Amino acid sequence: MEESLISQGLSLMVFGMGFVFVFLTLLVGVTMLMSKLVVKFAPVAVAPLKKVRRNAAPVAAATDDELVAVITAAVHQYRS
Amino acid sequence: MDKLLDLWLASGIYNLQPGQLIMLVVGLILLYLAINKKFEPLLLVPIGFGGILANIPEAGLAFSAVENALHFAQPEILANLSSALGISSTDPQSITEAYHTSNASTHQAAVLAAQDGGYSNGMLYNFYNVSIASGAAPLIIFMGVGAMTDFGPLLANPKTLFLGAAAQFGIFATVLGAVGLTTIGVMDFSIQDAAAIGIIGGADGPTAIYVASLLSPHLLGAIAVAAYSYMALVPLIQPPIMRALTTEAERKITMVQLRQVSKIEKILFPIVLLLLVAMLLPDAAPLLGMFCFGNLLRECGVVDRLSDTAQNALINIVTIFLGLSVGSKLSADKFLDLTTLGILVLGIIAFCIGTAMGVLMAKLLNKLEGGNSINPLIGSAGVSAVPMAARVSNKLGLEANSQNFLLMHAMGPNVAGVIGSAVAAGVMIKFVG
Repeated sequence: MEESLISQGLSLMVFGMGFVFVFLTLLVGVTMLMSKLVVKFAPVAVAPLKKVRRNAAPVAAATDDELVAVITAAVHQYRS
Repeated sequence: MDKLLDLWLASGIYNLQPGQLIMLVVGLILLYLAINKKFEPLLLVPIGFGGILANIPEAGLAFSAVENALHFAQPEILANLSSALGISSTDPQSITEAYHTSNASTHQAAVLAAQDGGYSNGMLYNFYNVSIASGAAPLIIFMGVGAMTDFGPLLANPKTLFLGAAAQFGIFATVLGAVGLTTIGVMDFSIQDAAAIGIIGGADGPTAIYVASLLSPHLLGAIAVAAYSYMALVPLIQPPIMRALTTEAERKITMVQLRQVSKIEKILFPIVLLLLVAMLLPDAAPLLGMFCFGNLLRECGVVDRLSDTAQNALINIVTIFLGLSVGSKLSADKFLDLTTLGILVLGIIAFCIGTAMGVLMAKLLNKLEGGNSINPLIGSAGVSAVPMAARVSNKLGLEANSQNFLLMHAMGPNVAGVIGSAVAAGVMIKFVG
């Protein structure tokens, strides 16, 4: 009984540690593969997004400026 | 005068047993550590308070209806119980034994007999059944942890997963230690107990509680208290080991800036991980499934409300009940014995071995990579204990070189450690559960 407990512990250690390593090694492989695929295909998807943002920001700023100008003018007219 | 005597006989002072007194003090110490020393206060405040509640004399908050009935030991109810359990003796001791070894249907019959006698489950006993015995609370917390985890640093440098794997060695070495102690006759642990104790080395509270609730519920109180106390002690336990195993030059290694990780990678990672778990280790599916689910809520970007609930409101609510339920396991008869001391000692050994193996693995990776790209200090973060262990790595890195910020680099092994201990938990449950 006692000896089998020790051997149970030993086999748990060997198999457990082995499995943790196998699993995480596979995970490393799969993750790297996934990243490579994404990097290969993603720039196409990411680049337009950035462009849109860059374009969108100045447009928004411009409309804001216009809006401010219009409102200021209106306020001036109202006050005068 | 009789009334006064009754009041005295029903008072806490009259009924206080020495064990309960000690456990009340233990509860107060836990509260002191949590409030004054800021040791994992989110958990140790509920655990400490639950521990105090569980040891209030005569209240029986942590006991089931049957245990409460046995405590008050009215002869006719004892007779009902023993007939329900199908034994002839009406001695409370033998009824307790029969109750604990009975199968589900006679167990239920005993519970009903006790309830007929006017006894009910204690409040904490109910909390424990709903939150821990069902497995719900640790899993919901794991979902919240997933929703709080950023896999960015890990995805930028997947090799840090090896550090998370190496640090799990502490778990299995401790299993061997516990089994060894049993063999030489110092302690009496079954292989299930040993596995549940070892998981303390995973430095992951919910995982430890989940495994303990499945493999050896009677040790749950001590295991949870050990796991959370040692997580709080990470900044004290780890640095000496890390310094001893690394050279000054190694600690000075600065690591290159991590690459930018795209959103698509972050969304795909929990799904990839889940599929891998589903294919290889279904026993880890409850833990890692909830973890991946929480992470997907966070990263997918279309369910911010759910993600917010998972990482704030829900995890807080569940933490309250989890803490109180763990506290219920701190009742004197279950906590005060040599086993608890053994668990505390084995737990800290597990932690130290995990830290050391993480650092050694990082040194090995560094050697393989040419000797100047991986700072071994990030290896210790492989024991999970997010984000405390990563902060410790960062602090030691800054001590060696004031321009060396390792925090983001250490977050990689840190979250890898969470995955690693969940996988280790799955293996344990598979082999000895």
